[in-house]
Amino acid sequence: MNQALTSSAASLAKPARKRVPIARISVLTLLGILLVTQLYPLLWLVLYSLKSNEEILSGKFFALPKSLQWTNYKQAIEAHYWQYLYNSVFVTVVTMVCVIVLASMVAYAITRFKWKLGPVVMLIFLMGMMIPVQSTLLPIMMIFKNIPGLMGTRWSIILPYIAYQTPIAVFILSGFMRTIPLEIEESAHMDGASIMRTFRSIILPISVPPIVTVCILTFINIWNEYILAATFISSAKYKTLPFGVNSFVSQYSSNYGAIGAYLVLGALPVIIMYFVLSEKITKGMVAGAVKG
Amino acid sequence: MNALKVPARTIALFVLPCLLLYVCLVFVPIFYSMYTSTFDWNGIGVKKYIGLDNYVNILYHDKVFWPAVKHTLLFAVFSMLEIPVALLIATLLNRYVRKPNFFVSAYFVPVILSVVIIGQLWKTIYNPASLGGMINQTLDSLGLHSWTHSWLTEPDIAMYALYFVALWQYLGYHLLIQFTGISNIPTEIYEAAKIDGAEGFKADWHITFPLVVPIFKISIILAFIGSLQSFDMIMVMTGGGPAHATDVIATHMYNMSFASSKFGYGSAIAIILVIVCLVATVIINTAFNKLEKKIG
Repeated sequence: MNQALTSSAASLAKPARKRVPIARISVLTLLGILLVTQLYPLLWLVLYSLKSNEEILSGKFFALPKSLQWTNYKQAIEAHYWQYLYNSVFVTVVTMVCVIVLASMVAYAITRFKWKLGPVVMLIFLMGMMIPVQSTLLPIMMIFKNIPGLMGTRWSIILPYIAYQTPIAVFILSGFMRTIPLEIEESAHMDGASIMRTFRSIILPISVPPIVTVCILTFINIWNEYILAATFISSAKYKTLPFGVNSFVSQYSSNYGAIGAYLVLGALPVIIMYFVLSEKITKGMVAGAVKG
Repeated sequence: MNALKVPARTIALFVLPCLLLYVCLVFVPIFYSMYTSTFDWNGIGVKKYIGLDNYVNILYHDKVFWPAVKHTLLFAVFSMLEIPVALLIATLLNRYVRKPNFFVSAYFVPVILSVVIIGQLWKTIYNPASLGGMINQTLDSLGLHSWTHSWLTEPDIAMYALYFVALWQYLGYHLLIQFTGISNIPTEIYEAAKIDGAEGFKADWHITFPLVVPIFKISIILAFIGSLQSFDMIMVMTGGGPAHATDVIATHMYNMSFASSKFGYGSAIAIILVIVCLVATVIINTAFNKLEKKIG
């Protein structure tokens, strides 16, 4: 959402404001209530995570914690938090890099190379977008079990993650690459640059905006993914954050404060990213939705 | 078409790594599932070929399948009903609020969180008052003790409690999409309409709504497909229980495949899910294309 559009929207709203203040007040009230319903549960969770078990069970949910129970956080962090965080970062970053490299190469080939099968390849990727991911869980597991040493490792989730993310990435990247003028590559070609070189030093740098979009979509999807990780991984050594959070919650089901603390810690990395990059993230998610 | 002539080797180098990985991890598994779905197999023992018996059993004898379909479709209906609401809120934001981006970004926060965080958070909120649950404690303190429920374990209520969480989480997503759609409508159109005497909701009715139909369509498809595939949040919150009261197609498939180790049966449900998704996408697309032609 850019500035110009926002200000134009505001100027549109002006006459309406003058004429019907009551309407404006009621609309703002409605939007305010919505703000509370969307954000209060998260705030509540933060308070909850700082309370002792007695305070939580006392039934006064409005009350602020009497003294901040940082021990809840200590307990949560001691339960493999850093390990899970590291695993999530590792899995997400590797997936991201692979998706961008693989998808941009395919997108380039589809939009630029002269070959008959280009549209067919595109169609294969587009069709795959309609296949529900969950239905591939069982067969992928059966296939992976035949490959020794794969099941249960980080790679057993990274490979499917890459596959799930490529279609939308190919779609977004090829949509962009189609708009790059061919003259740029022609002159590079005349200067003796190879295809690989042109791709690396010209096409990729120009394509940074769609690559950022792909990065954001991949980050949100993979960082938050739970079910595949929970199905394929069993060792605490490789658990990703969502899976780790869920195991902690089911294991310490009566330690309410610590559960709250673990949930807050689980949400924190994404929330911090959102504070820093909110506009990029919302834009990326819209691009992913609209182009998908 | 302008295109680069490159040797087949180069094309293969650019395309094959990605295409092979993709086909091996999406298409091969689907075909493998089709194959598996014709067997009675628990994953370890002997495979017994039974033709289409799994499908027959699912469609005619499975007591869980049709209720699961009903839950899934009801979920799709609720999700789609949320979109006009999101469109309305987006219109209001655009019309009455000076800094709409702040609201849109704030509403969006639940969307970026993992289903595990959202699911466990709401499980805590739904807890009985004696376990610190927010809703029941609120009702208790308002003197509405008779309204308190064990939200996730009463079969009549549990499914609706789950719908609510999903709708709550994705409101911000649909709102953002609709809002972006509205923001992209050129201001000149509204100015021209103003000269012609159309302002306020009249302008919305004749300009905003017809022009956001393509975006609206995308939201509807996303909501529909999303709810057909709705899965992980239910797995986190109830796992399909109590007594299958919150089973949807995907959770039924998962429980059959992994909890009951009925690999053939689970695969057959998976194939049914794939078919339903494909057919639904085609139907919605055709319906909207007709609608767009009518309006355009």
